[in-house]
Amino acid sequence: MKQMPKMLVILFAISALAFAHHGLAAFDQTTTITVKGTVTEFHFINPHCVVEFEVKDDKGNVQKWQGEMTSPAHLKGWTATSLEAGNVVTVSGYRAKSGAPYMWVTKLSSSNGVELKSFSGN
Amino acid sequence: MRLAPVCFRAVAFLILPFLAFAQAEPGIPVTNPIVLAKCAGCHPVDAHGNMQRLSWERATPEAWEEALKRMIRANQVTLTPPEAREIIRYLSARHGLAPQETKPVMYYAERRIQDENGVANETLLDVCAKCHHIARVLSWRRSADDWKRFAAAHAEQYKFKPNDEAVALLCKAAPLQTPEWTSWSQRKELPDLTGRWLLTAHVLGRGLFYGEMEVRAGQNDGDFSTSVILHSVADGSTLTRTGHSVVYAGHEWRGRSKGANPAGSAPDDLSSETREVMSVSSEGSLIEGRWFWGHYQEFGFDVRMQRALNGPTLLAIDRRAMKIGSEANRIRLIGDSFPSSIQTNDLTVASGISVRRIVSSTAHEIVAEMDVAKEAAPGKRDLSFRSSTLPNALVIYDRVDYLKVTPESAMAAFGDESSPRGFQQFEAIGYQRGPDNRMHTADDVELGPLDATWSMEVFYETDSANSGLVGQVSSTGFFTPAPQSPNANYDVWVVATSKNEMKKDGKPLVGKAYVVVTIPSYTFNGRKYVRELDRWVEEGQ
Repeated sequence: MKQMPKMLVILFAISALAFAHHGLAAFDQTTTITVKGTVTEFHFINPHCVVEFEVKDDKGNVQKWQGEMTSPAHLKGWTATSLEAGNVVTVSGYRAKSGAPYMWVTKLSSSNGVELKSFSGN
Repeated sequence: MRLAPVCFRAVAFLILPFLAFAQAEPGIPVTNPIVLAKCAGCHPVDAHGNMQRLSWERATPEAWEEALKRMIRANQVTLTPPEAREIIRYLSARHGLAPQETKPVMYYAERRIQDENGVANETLLDVCAKCHHIARVLSWRRSADDWKRFAAAHAEQYKFKPNDEAVALLCKAAPLQTPEWTSWSQRKELPDLTGRWLLTAHVLGRGLFYGEMEVRAGQNDGDFSTSVILHSVADGSTLTRTGHSVVYAGHEWRGRSKGANPAGSAPDDLSSETREVMSVSSEGSLIEGRWFWGHYQEFGFDVRMQRALNGPTLLAIDRRAMKIGSEANRIRLIGDSFPSSIQTNDLTVASGISVRRIVSSTAHEIVAEMDVAKEAAPGKRDLSFRSSTLPNALVIYDRVDYLKVTPESAMAAFGDESSPRGFQQFEAIGYQRGPDNRMHTADDVELGPLDATWSMEVFYETDSANSGLVGQVSSTGFFTPAPQSPNANYDVWVVATSKNEMKKDGKPLVGKAYVVVTIPSYTFNGRKYVRELDRWVEEGQ
């Protein structure tokens, strides 16, 4: 079959396997950043799972971050409760080029023992 | 030199019916004269009446329709519309799917958004769902030989390496011969669907509707004309619709209907012409499915119809959730043939709920007030009017634990000169954490819609200043993409903030839906994706 760009297959289904719908062009893949924060929400949904967490700086100011991950189908063994509000997470990945507090997650560890060891694709 | 191919063709023509498509499994003989006349030129018939390929295949009406279109497109088959209808009708009936086989893939025919994980084996998803809904593949049943031939032809046409494991899985998951089909195809009498049906329907953003459908016999067996009257529980407005339908294989309802008043310019106008895709229960007393419209079928009625009975029938209630310790909760019970005099003891509710009084009643509606005991346990409760029961109709809850925006994953599309925009309606639904005391688990209890304010956030944006370039969400949760396509896809959160329900910290409950707003159409390697057909076509077709 002719190979179609992955972003196109979204048109066919909300099939999680077929829902890797964008590349990582919006992220600065030359630099990996790591931030630590407290989970406020975890969205275990298609097309991409997203963890929302709050990061405190040295002065106590809170910044709201979002970490985007692969689809639920690719997060083997994960469920909607793998991350819950209050979990402390250390998240590594590529920050959005726009400068927004948003990242593509390549690695995550949580105080509840959940880990995403390494994931660079989408 | 020129004789050889001619001779080969002649010999092949003579022996093909007997040898070339010999199959290990018994086929389904084809007897319809139009199918024989139109298809046997390329699909020869053997001595047992088996037609090459077709006798070893079964499929849904949509799959047969698509196959017929492919034959017309690729093989220059010429058919009049009545001939095409007759062929689809015959193949769907004699080479169709049993209700149990159709049920797992009905979401595809009903054009619902569906996460397909779990619908099939991972290998099948990996091989087939790269390009198709897996439901499209599983809308077919084939003999093992036919799956192999199909896979080989598919691999040849689309230039990929056949996957033997996937073919073996398909042979097992979707075989020609099944006990379900054997049993269903041997039914002698189909239920008579004519008469009066009671109907409830839910429309995203519009709430519950109730009413009735009159089903009348059409000119042919399995043809029906319909007229519907629907009342909105939310605002009391009335809709009337008329239509036609065909029931294939005794259970697959396919129809079209439209409102009595011409549809206006609003894309979600409820008078719009809809396609009706529903399933008739095996005993013929229940019909369920979806009536849909829109550029990619994003609008729809979720419909449930039950045959009208002689006695009182409870159909639905206008709200299902009541808080522990609350008093005088006013509930509207929607139904049919309620008697003129109603007493509180005509209603039966399970432990923890008492009926305080009947406020009013008509033949179609009872308004009752109910109290919930302070010591009542959270959970679902049945509600009955005399012998008519709605299982798990009421929910007793202690607090709204979270808000979910539905659909949680969705699509919308920018438009251009050739493609209209694709829209999406959202609802904010409250949930209680359920018996396990944990949120976002399978036992969570849906409490119903919540009043919410709506907003949107564009992924990766530093502020919301540019969100207008992507679209806007209305105060009722209706997302409209921007009129100009920015020629790029955008990921967007559609955010609902509860007006009345708060978290433990006093902040309002917030829920989000992940929406992908796509460009109008895709072209790749000379093939264009046609959204309304849900498939790729060669450019220029």
